[in-house]
Amino acid sequence: MTRRDFLSYPLDRRRFLRGTAATGAAAGLTALGLPHALAQEPEKPGEIIVRAWGGSWVESLEKGVSDPFTEMTGIAVRHDLTEDNEIQPKVWAAVAQNRVPPIHINWDTTTNATKSALRGVTEDLSDLPNLANVTDLAKPVGLDGYPIVNTYGYVYVLAYRPEAFPDGPPKSWKDLLDPKFKGRIALYNDGIGFHFPAQVAGGGSLDDIPGNMQPCWDFVEEIKAQEPLLGEDPDFTTWFQNGEIDAACTISTNAREAKKNGIDIAWVVPEEGAKFDTDGLWIPKGLPENELYWAKQYINFALTKDAQQVWLDGLGLPGVVPGLTPPEDLVDDPSYPTKEEDFADLIRISSKVQVENESDWFAKFKAIMQG
Amino acid sequence: MQSARTAYPVTWRIMDALEAFAATVWPANWTRAVPYLMLAPAVLLVGLLVLGLIQIGDTSLRTLDTSTFLLSEEYTLANYQRAFTEPLFAAVAARSLLGALIVTAITLVFAFPYAYVMVRTSSPALRKFLLIALFLPFFIGQVVRAYGWLIILGNQGMVNEALGLVGVEPMRLLYNYPAVLFGLVQYMLPFAVLMVAPALTAIPEELEAAAGSLGADWLRTFFHVVLPLARPGLTGAGLVVVTLSLTDFAMPAILGGGSQDFIANAIYDQFFRTSDQGLGATLALMLVAVGSLLVGLIFTLFGAGTLAMGRARE
Repeated sequence: MTRRDFLSYPLDRRRFLRGTAATGAAAGLTALGLPHALAQEPEKPGEIIVRAWGGSWVESLEKGVSDPFTEMTGIAVRHDLTEDNEIQPKVWAAVAQNRVPPIHINWDTTTNATKSALRGVTEDLSDLPNLANVTDLAKPVGLDGYPIVNTYGYVYVLAYRPEAFPDGPPKSWKDLLDPKFKGRIALYNDGIGFHFPAQVAGGGSLDDIPGNMQPCWDFVEEIKAQEPLLGEDPDFTTWFQNGEIDAACTISTNAREAKKNGIDIAWVVPEEGAKFDTDGLWIPKGLPENELYWAKQYINFALTKDAQQVWLDGLGLPGVVPGLTPPEDLVDDPSYPTKEEDFADLIRISSKVQVENESDWFAKFKAIMQG
Repeated sequence: MQSARTAYPVTWRIMDALEAFAATVWPANWTRAVPYLMLAPAVLLVGLLVLGLIQIGDTSLRTLDTSTFLLSEEYTLANYQRAFTEPLFAAVAARSLLGALIVTAITLVFAFPYAYVMVRTSSPALRKFLLIALFLPFFIGQVVRAYGWLIILGNQGMVNEALGLVGVEPMRLLYNYPAVLFGLVQYMLPFAVLMVAPALTAIPEELEAAAGSLGADWLRTFFHVVLPLARPGLTGAGLVVVTLSLTDFAMPAILGGGSQDFIANAIYDQFFRTSDQGLGATLALMLVAVGSLLVGLIFTLFGAGTLAMGRARE
């Protein structure tokens, strides 16, 4: 049986568990629907290393994907919490030097992962059986095949403290220009999530991206005058918690997490729209065959409805498998788009365009903010 | 008659054996090579650094192809052109240099009296207290200390709460240039005190007493006796503080609120955010060059201070 044949069998947790209960661990593959696969099954590694983001991010992954995967296969999953942009050069160097990469699976932003795909360090995942059951969101835009599998989407919302907006929620990104918010707003320190709505708020058109981004930079200049704080995911929660800021452009998951921690916070998708993007999973080249096989099994399992439901309930994000139930607090929430019309106010630009222009946009954003 | 064993103790025999072994391994006519052998670790260390710099130099001459995210095969000066012409890098470099100079000046001003009291005090208890206070921060990493300042100086921090008690509205004490400089001074102070203290110890107290007996008041004694004699310590401390401040990463990153980057932060961004190792390597080399020039300038103007290990006084 070839690896492709093996992968064509769906990995079904219930069937697996039924089989395990009946015949013990040795019969595990029977439960997978593979009664004769035991002899051909690649050797199981002692562990699979998955790079992940910390806090509620890794907790959700552990609960929804890693723990059930270990339960099914007996393979331990270790989460490497090295930052995504810091693991990247390590993986690239390992592949370039024909060394075994330091991780089996990278949980990565699609933009970051696209760089790795363009560099040619990602394994092709087109043969994952569960790709047959996913929505178009799983497919990376502008790339051949599946060097990455997108696993969910997210929105860079305008999160705010309701107390600071007594007249009602902000309607526009321009509301952040109110003088009372000077020094009280926050953006990502590389501007990610803000460029595209800024293009609209600055009077420009999304069709002009990337050719003419001047409206975006004009609006960023106006925001700069408001002396925004610039940080990363954990900073936003801290700043809201410590009363340092009243509003921020951040991923809805961070705002939701802050709310869970008891901070009075809400979020909107302003009239100019909000950036919608995806994260995904990918496997670096250079793994031994058996480890590659089990790494693929991990990703394949992450695409099952059961895994997605638990994992993404924790993150509060829409997945790539049809029929997922939104968490109660996010039903009809603009940060949890499920229907076609929900995407009307969300801005999605291809990862390839983002990747090819990221360096220039970053330099421009930094030049304004550091000036 | 003494037995042969008493006449020639076993310890001597061991020493003889060791000497014979040493003579075999390192013959006497190789003695002239000993100084060079002792230099070997330094040569190895510097050699590795030079190899690294050559590698960085090679990378700095290659540009990033964003369609493949590989560096170009051809050499080009494009990264240097960007580094010299883009306003972002000029702003960050100017901020870093100015910051390093301000931090050095303030740190030396604070370090000197601390070291002086620590060295001259007649109270052993006070000396111990000052020594403990000096070494305690070394057990706490830079990042932890920076986060400590976030707690103390934040909008809901201890300082603002204290100000609130006297009716002062909370004010933004963090995420600006002064906050970064403040954090750096606090971080650098122990280094500077450690460099200045030996120089002050080397100044005989009798010299100050002699100046006093000749009619000099405390101020004149300080400016005409203590300060000139302490110059090697101040120079050494200045060198250490200016180079560490110039290349610092954590304080600007944590206390700067994202808008007060130093050169090290810009280098990090190129390596880890835009994946442009070529431009990152260029900025790194330029930082090394600027740091070296600065140190060279200080050497020229003031000598190497205590870092010269006493050569300056010969």
